[in-house]
Amino acid sequence: MLCGEFHTTYASDMGIFDTRRARWVLIAFIVALFSIPFVAGSYWLDVANRAAIAVIAATGLNILTGFTGQISLGNAAFLAVGAYTTAFLSSHGMPFLVACPASGIATALAGMVFGIPSLRLKGLYLAMATLAAHFIVEFTASHWDAVTGGVAGISTASPRIFGYDFSDDRRLFFLIVPACILHLYFAKNLFRTRVGKAFVAIRDQDISAEVMGVEVFRFKVLAFGVSSFYVGVAGSLLAYQARIISPENFPLSVAIDHLGMIIIGGLGSVVGSILGAIFLTLLPEVLRLATSALSGGFPHLVQLFTPLKLAVFGLTIVLFLVFEPDGLADLWRRIRNWFRLYPFSY
Amino acid sequence: MEFLLQLVINGLVVGCIYSLVALGFVIIYKSSGILNFAQGEFLLLGAYVFLAIVAQANVPVLPALLLTFAFATLLGLALERVVLRPLIGEPIISVIMVTLGLSSILRAIVQGIWGTDTRPMHEVFSLEPIQIGPLPVARGYLYSAASVAVLLVALTLFFKYARPGIAMRATAASQQVALSMGISVRHIFALSWSIAAVVSAAGGVLLGTLRGGVDGSLAILGLKVLPVVIVGGLDSVGGAILGGLLVGILENLAGGYLDPIFGGGVKEVAPFVALVLILMIRPYGLFGRVRIERV
Amino acid sequence: MKLIRSALLILCVAASAQAQQEIKVGGIFDLTGITSDVGKPYAQGVRDGVAWTNENGGINGKKIRLVDVDYGYKIPEAVAAYKRMTGDEKVIMINGWGTGDTEGLKAQVNQDKIPYVSASFSAHLTDPTKTPYNFFVGPSYSDGLRAWLKWVKEDWKEKRNPKVAFFYGDNPYGKSPIEAGRRFCKENGIDLVDEEIVPGAFQDATSQLLNMKQRGADYAYINVTTTGVSTILRDAKKLGLATKFGSNPYGFGEALPQVAKEAAEGVTGIMVDVPFGENVPGMKRLTDFHKKNHPNDTHDTFYVRGWTYVMVWSEALKRADKSGKLTGEGVKAALETLKDFDLGGLTTPVTYTSSDHRPTTTVRIYQIKSGKLTKAKEYEMERKQEWLGL
Repeated sequence: MLCGEFHTTYASDMGIFDTRRARWVLIAFIVALFSIPFVAGSYWLDVANRAAIAVIAATGLNILTGFTGQISLGNAAFLAVGAYTTAFLSSHGMPFLVACPASGIATALAGMVFGIPSLRLKGLYLAMATLAAHFIVEFTASHWDAVTGGVAGISTASPRIFGYDFSDDRRLFFLIVPACILHLYFAKNLFRTRVGKAFVAIRDQDISAEVMGVEVFRFKVLAFGVSSFYVGVAGSLLAYQARIISPENFPLSVAIDHLGMIIIGGLGSVVGSILGAIFLTLLPEVLRLATSALSGGFPHLVQLFTPLKLAVFGLTIVLFLVFEPDGLADLWRRIRNWFRLYPFSY
Repeated sequence: MEFLLQLVINGLVVGCIYSLVALGFVIIYKSSGILNFAQGEFLLLGAYVFLAIVAQANVPVLPALLLTFAFATLLGLALERVVLRPLIGEPIISVIMVTLGLSSILRAIVQGIWGTDTRPMHEVFSLEPIQIGPLPVARGYLYSAASVAVLLVALTLFFKYARPGIAMRATAASQQVALSMGISVRHIFALSWSIAAVVSAAGGVLLGTLRGGVDGSLAILGLKVLPVVIVGGLDSVGGAILGGLLVGILENLAGGYLDPIFGGGVKEVAPFVALVLILMIRPYGLFGRVRIERV
Repeated sequence: MKLIRSALLILCVAASAQAQQEIKVGGIFDLTGITSDVGKPYAQGVRDGVAWTNENGGINGKKIRLVDVDYGYKIPEAVAAYKRMTGDEKVIMINGWGTGDTEGLKAQVNQDKIPYVSASFSAHLTDPTKTPYNFFVGPSYSDGLRAWLKWVKEDWKEKRNPKVAFFYGDNPYGKSPIEAGRRFCKENGIDLVDEEIVPGAFQDATSQLLNMKQRGADYAYINVTTTGVSTILRDAKKLGLATKFGSNPYGFGEALPQVAKEAAEGVTGIMVDVPFGENVPGMKRLTDFHKKNHPNDTHDTFYVRGWTYVMVWSEALKRADKSGKLTGEGVKAALETLKDFDLGGLTTPVTYTSSDHRPTTTVRIYQIKSGKLTKAKEYEMERKQEWLGL
């Protein structure tokens, strides 16, 4: 039982884990995570892979919106840029280890271009600019047939590293989840550095930050870049996992879903991105199980599944925003503290 | 030349409906500072409810219209009370997300009750066009342009001369001062949401009668509204009207001249390209008020 | 404890015995997406067809279990549904829907050896050297377009070549027959003056129609679904256009004159299956089932289409089962044994061979007269080798 934290060095105060026990819990969790491919069926592995990709994308969005305060509705567009770059490079023979980072960098560049309006725009206006970016990218993807295959889409061969073929979801799990962990680790550390703190300063009060010497425009563009790199990598992994991508994989609802993930998870928190992404990826699956279990008694439920999915999504967002505005991360923190301080958790 | 004129006229008519929806958006923003991304769904609900009343309850058109407006008023009031009241003062992203969530719920309700097939709309206008000079113009277009004009004039007069309208402008200018003057800001919020819902419902009914059928894709208009309000200015009623017409014309011109070059789809993207350009040159739109931020 | 164990054992045996008695067939339908106006009645037709088959002897005594899902016409959802059906549910074949997702999955179904009978009539699915596991029931979109162009040639009475425009959606379904149509026009003295693209869901087609008017098209072929067709027809009427319109098999049905009203008068279209209630021998079981189970619903030609699909693949399942090969490859081989398989007049008889998956090349053109669908002409298109797969 803990009754407080006692740090004697600056380094330990800045550490990611505030107690030694937390470190062991995390290691145990990761071991359990890697045992999933040995017990889960192929469909649930697909769900798990999609959840991991969503975690990377949500973390990217959180860096931009949660930590730097720049509202972006362009996540689906950036995901598309990353995915199509990978599909294009891969169809020209580039291996995974080249295509994936290259897609990240390409998307980062695109993100920085779309971040330029942030020099003059804030809040709703920036959101509108990113929304316009979404439609422009969607238009390009549908019409640039030579590179993107147009509306028919483009397929990507499975990734190979040194001859080992990651051909199905079980093997892809071992590629996607470590990538996810790597990105999360980087994100967590980013906010212990000068750059990360500059991002947070911009979110809190950018005019004061400028006065205090933070070059606001440069860091805003950098935030767009880093965030887009994450989303680009997520898009690249998506191209490998989904095999066939077309403009239909990237509708505006994907961007709204990602925003929902970080809001439900908790803005400005890496743990929040993880929780929110997993929650919103699993929600339709749980709903599907529920409707198929009940469909014996109510045969029309299959038809209602899509509106039900929409309604539950909307309702979840509204309820979380009204009752739990700090998201799942805050809920998790409260639960964790309750267990830590037991029996004195009051 | 005839081609160009035809495109412009079509753009004006479609633009009238955009203006209506944008007006609802601006009214809500002006009085309560909330950006309502669910405006398209108000349109959708208005159209479906009107259809249900006319088709299933066999009520004639005019009373059905009034009933639809009554429903829209109640909807606006209910949403304002239940969802938006708790979110006053929350950061802008939460407000945007709540209205997005709301739009999902409303769309899901429509889909759940009425499904997604097209429902034929009672034929209000004959399809035979009237000749204006060299151009055939559909009867329905003229009626819708006329009704939109009437509505817009009514609303402008309302804001200028009627007490509630003046109170709304006062609240938009400064909530605290309005409160201290004895204006019930809560009632103003409720009123603004009701008016916005009614205006959108009118737009939905018009659009449904023009197309001859009602289906789920009407909600797409909610997204089209955004370039309109940015072009016109977020807090300007006149801007919403002008912006709607401009965007309608722009869309049709782009579709008419650029679609053949690019193989389609330009019509949908053009308003958003215009949006980006306006944001770069004049972010507050043609008539919007410039915001000065102080630390 | 022993009692519980034996009870559990009996339950397990019963469950697996039950499973052995069932044949799982996957169903991917569009109930809420942009093609749901025709997808919903089709899905109901398939479900009713399966229910009727199960009530009338099933597949040599075994019952069919339809594992159906609504994918909203979104390719990623279809891919996810496919993975679930083949991975978890282990279906033996799939009754699919849309062109985009069927063409997207064709490599996968070939690899997994899952016969995929799709509602999409895309000609890209007819060549067994490229897509051996894809089938559909009806003339391909390309043959349909060619037949309609033939009708145009016969309907056109003046000396110069008729001018034709194509309207199609911005997706694989819309684009499917266009190349075939272009070539046919060139080879047969028809001037293709305009191609207009419409987005998946649209309110207003006026600017596209105005463009077409500038090019002076006499006829126009619309390749979307019924909702889109009625919007185009109404907008054309509002513009006072004299162009004669024609539609593909998913844009033309009983609903069209209801929604488009007077704008639909004189419009032609391809009908793959007869309208519901038509006096053909095969209609009896549909009307009986309808009377017994949902007498208050209205049905249309797409409902009939769903039934014909079940009739075709349940016959193949029966044959595969009889020869003891109830696997993916067995069902594919069984489908390829169908020769002039009669569907009671609901649609033209079906023939598949191992070198040609075009079930029929007969195209029926109907016309709307006084708000009713009346048969105009029937064309027997040639079974050309160079047209296979285009």
